[in-house]
Amino acid sequence: MAMSNGIVVDRRRVSAVIADDEPLLRAQLRARLGRLWPELAIVHEMESGRGVEAVIAEHAPRLFFLDIHMPGVNGLEAARAIGRRAHVVFVTAFDQYAVEAFERGAVDYVLKPFNEARLAETVARLRERLATAPAAMEALLELLAARAEPRPAEHLRWIKASMGQNVRLIPVDEVLFFQSDEKYTRVVTADGEALIRKPIKELLEELDPDKFWQVHRATIVNVDAIASVRRGLKDQAEIALKGHRETLVVSRNFTHLFKQM
Amino acid sequence: MTRYAHLFDGLTPKRVGVVSLLCLWAAASTVWFFKNTFLDLLVSALCVGYTCMVFFTVATNLQQRRVPPWVAQVASIILGSFAGTVLTGLVKGRDIATMFSERFFGVLITMSMGIGFGCWAVWIYYHRQKEARREAELAQARAERAQLEKSVLQAKLALMQAQVEPHFLFNTLANVQHLVETDPPSAARMLESLIQYLRAALPRMREEATTVGREVDMAKAYLEIHAMRMGSRLAFAIDVPEALRAQPFPPMMLITLVENAVIHGIDPCCDEGSITVRAMDEGGRLRVSVADTGEGISPKKGAGVGLANIRERLKALYGGGARLVMEENAPRGVVATIEIDGMVPAAEGVPAPPAPAAVS
Repeated sequence: MAMSNGIVVDRRRVSAVIADDEPLLRAQLRARLGRLWPELAIVHEMESGRGVEAVIAEHAPRLFFLDIHMPGVNGLEAARAIGRRAHVVFVTAFDQYAVEAFERGAVDYVLKPFNEARLAETVARLRERLATAPAAMEALLELLAARAEPRPAEHLRWIKASMGQNVRLIPVDEVLFFQSDEKYTRVVTADGEALIRKPIKELLEELDPDKFWQVHRATIVNVDAIASVRRGLKDQAEIALKGHRETLVVSRNFTHLFKQM
Repeated sequence: MTRYAHLFDGLTPKRVGVVSLLCLWAAASTVWFFKNTFLDLLVSALCVGYTCMVFFTVATNLQQRRVPPWVAQVASIILGSFAGTVLTGLVKGRDIATMFSERFFGVLITMSMGIGFGCWAVWIYYHRQKEARREAELAQARAERAQLEKSVLQAKLALMQAQVEPHFLFNTLANVQHLVETDPPSAARMLESLIQYLRAALPRMREEATTVGREVDMAKAYLEIHAMRMGSRLAFAIDVPEALRAQPFPPMMLITLVENAVIHGIDPCCDEGSITVRAMDEGGRLRVSVADTGEGISPKKGAGVGLANIRERLKALYGGGARLVMEENAPRGVVATIEIDGMVPAAEGVPAPPAPAAVS
């Protein structure tokens, strides 16, 4: 080890980056690693996985400690971006699925809060592993990502309706029915109703077709809100709703929806 | 043709069968009185009966609002009896002219019998309909009550199952672990907040009913922990008048809203977010709200079980007397408000703040 002007120049030194959104936890990991692995140099700290490319370009670290849960770009996404350019150690507070997957995939991970002995083991293993090339872990990452991120919803979940100066957010599950009313569309819930500009036709494209049925040119009903369906006048039928006095007309073109019920 | 098909709705084999039996019975029960043969009477009865049946069916299905349905139905029986009697004459090969002169008495009898039996049949039909409707209503009321009981149970279950997030717990402990070494006073503060939060949040510690004050304290403990952990990313304010702290309030609802504000509002987006917890008395209606300046709700963002649970529980506890209202915050974020109608007067419970000296 050679020292010059207080700056350590040592070929055996290992450069590493810590990514965690909580400042105290970054400081903690840095302090613990400092004790257990003196040759390790934390060259950079990140609050999220954003900007991994720039960090690699600037510091070329050999090791990343990635918190899995971070806002913006999370640890799994960051690991995917890193690829095989550096070794990755995941840091997580609690994630049963992830830990199981790590065990099977032989990926290094550290649990928060840290256990000194466990961290020392990880450090020992990492020292050995650094001699080899970083392992590919795309398959594992994909598996984890599928579990971690809720799939983006395909259907409309919230209705935004102006009420005076406020914008009311109504979950679609609470809506009993939508009914077009000349210029507007009525959104009726058990608590009251609101008017929106979105026409029935557009709503129909965005709502979950398993939960919302069109029963009339001007009406979409929440299937869960239907109390009973009665034969009505002409070829129509009539829907009674749970917890609401209005009845809805099912026009002839849509009565087939209820034929087998 | 299909345009008028609906007029004959209900003209089922069953109805034809019932009318046929009724005619058979009418003929059999009156044959002793007349000189006619049973077969002759049966032909008359069937002609009148079937005609009345068709007229009655059409009258029932007519889309008219001028007269009550029963008036139309009785009228249809009178008209049907008349038309049916004429039909009887035709079937028996009689001359229409003689029917209304020499045989008029017989015609009158046939008609009156048609009207009599017809109205009696309609009366029975009417009552059976009413009975069926009442039974359907009863069944529906029973189903609704069962549904309500179920939702009360589910609400209790949801309260029991609401988890203390292990992620939150372990991350907080990791922070404490670090602070113990580097900043013991802060570590003590964070531990105190954690203990206060856990006291209210652990399922075994939960109570069925609590107060605004206790729930706000729990939310405050949770926010203090997050403010320390997230550093400058989160600021919070609590604006709850002392007088409202004693108000009864259902447990674990406010904390769910606060957790949502942190996890789904501030955490995913913001470098500098804030959360405000407010309670106010709006003319006897208690409003407790959590406002964040976070990411806000996009139309396809998942609504989460937490909010659905709150709605279910409010319905089970208060019926229509309480609700969860979600609104957009300006300029960004979400305001979630729990409204409970009919506040308890502030006389009981925690003593109100000292009254200002009376001005004499």
